[in-house]
Amino acid sequence: MIPAIGLLLGILAGLLFDVDVPLALQPYLPIAVVAALDAVFGGLRAVMDGVFNDKVFVVSFVANVIIAAFIVFLGDQLGVGSQLSTAVVVVFGIRIFTNVATIRRHVFRA
Amino acid sequence: MPESTSPATVGPGAASGPSGPNKAAPAVEEPRRRFVPTAPTGMHRLGKALRARPDVGQVGVAALVGLLGFAAAVQVRADDDDLLNRARRGDLFLILDGLTARGDQLEEQIAQLENDRRELLSGADSEAAALEQTAELAQQLAVLAGTVGATGPGVTVTIVDPDGQVGARTMYSAVQELRSAGAEAIELSGGDGEQVRVVATTYFVDDDQGIAVDGVHLEPPYRFTVIGEPETLAEAMEFPQGVVDAVTGDGGTATVAQHDELVVDVVHQVTPPQYASPAPDDDSG
Repeated sequence: MIPAIGLLLGILAGLLFDVDVPLALQPYLPIAVVAALDAVFGGLRAVMDGVFNDKVFVVSFVANVIIAAFIVFLGDQLGVGSQLSTAVVVVFGIRIFTNVATIRRHVFRA
Repeated sequence: MPESTSPATVGPGAASGPSGPNKAAPAVEEPRRRFVPTAPTGMHRLGKALRARPDVGQVGVAALVGLLGFAAAVQVRADDDDLLNRARRGDLFLILDGLTARGDQLEEQIAQLENDRRELLSGADSEAAALEQTAELAQQLAVLAGTVGATGPGVTVTIVDPDGQVGARTMYSAVQELRSAGAEAIELSGGDGEQVRVVATTYFVDDDQGIAVDGVHLEPPYRFTVIGEPETLAEAMEFPQGVVDAVTGDGGTATVAQHDELVVDVVHQVTPPQYASPAPDDDSG
């Protein structure tokens, strides 16, 4: 319950407050969002699988975000930032699809 | 193989089956039984998790998920602000091409307009110069035509003729001599106070008690006021068999005086030509 309320509050805060993304964070924020989205779907799947664990979720969430941002940062330093961004998005996209497929099976039993 | 290895699911599946007399019944119900798990479903677990008593661990999860929501919302709004950020590579190329072409067009336009401006400026300059030249020329021509007053160095020629023997011919030859000596403005005044500006069309006619110049009757003594190079004019008057000698021969006396500053203020009234009109400019001529 508390996480659902937290999500709602976060979205409302983001919509209500006019926050400008700092320039230094601009390349990393979309990637971080995608990585976090993967962690959240993974957590949801774990809840439905009955194996959810707070600590695992927090660690995986933070690790996902940090590693994704680091990969993009590394790509920027190597001059292949946009390609690596695409790679990260593809990988997380596939994972999200996998997680959502499992959740779907739980919800619709198909 | 599922029939023998899943005895746990046989119970509820067999109980729900309305008809189970023969061996065919379990074989028919086998697929349906597979989707009736005994363990709690994902939805059950989700509902239970939502209803679970709050504990400390959930707060961390809530904070992270809230952060995600916040970041996502901010990012979505930021993207809304910037269309170019969302545009695809091909679209960006198109936009860039369009902008480049537009920029080139504008550059050409700027160059064209600057060229026009330069031409207009130089045109205005040369026009002003031409106007100035023309005004100067008109001023000079006006002096020669006698339509304006003139001032400058020159000579005065005074012809005293007590007997009235100096005629139009002598006066005319005097004017001719003055012109050939470079006189630029000539004024002739008579003893009766009449004054005439001598111009190209001026004529001299013998008249009773004097001469008529341009229809104006003048009586002696006559006095020329001439603007030009004083020494040349004086020599033109005084050379042998010249004007002074001619006047002396007629019984009069002519005296020439040089001046540094003379004023010719009588002007000639120009009448528009009645028959002659300017011939068109002929470049080949």
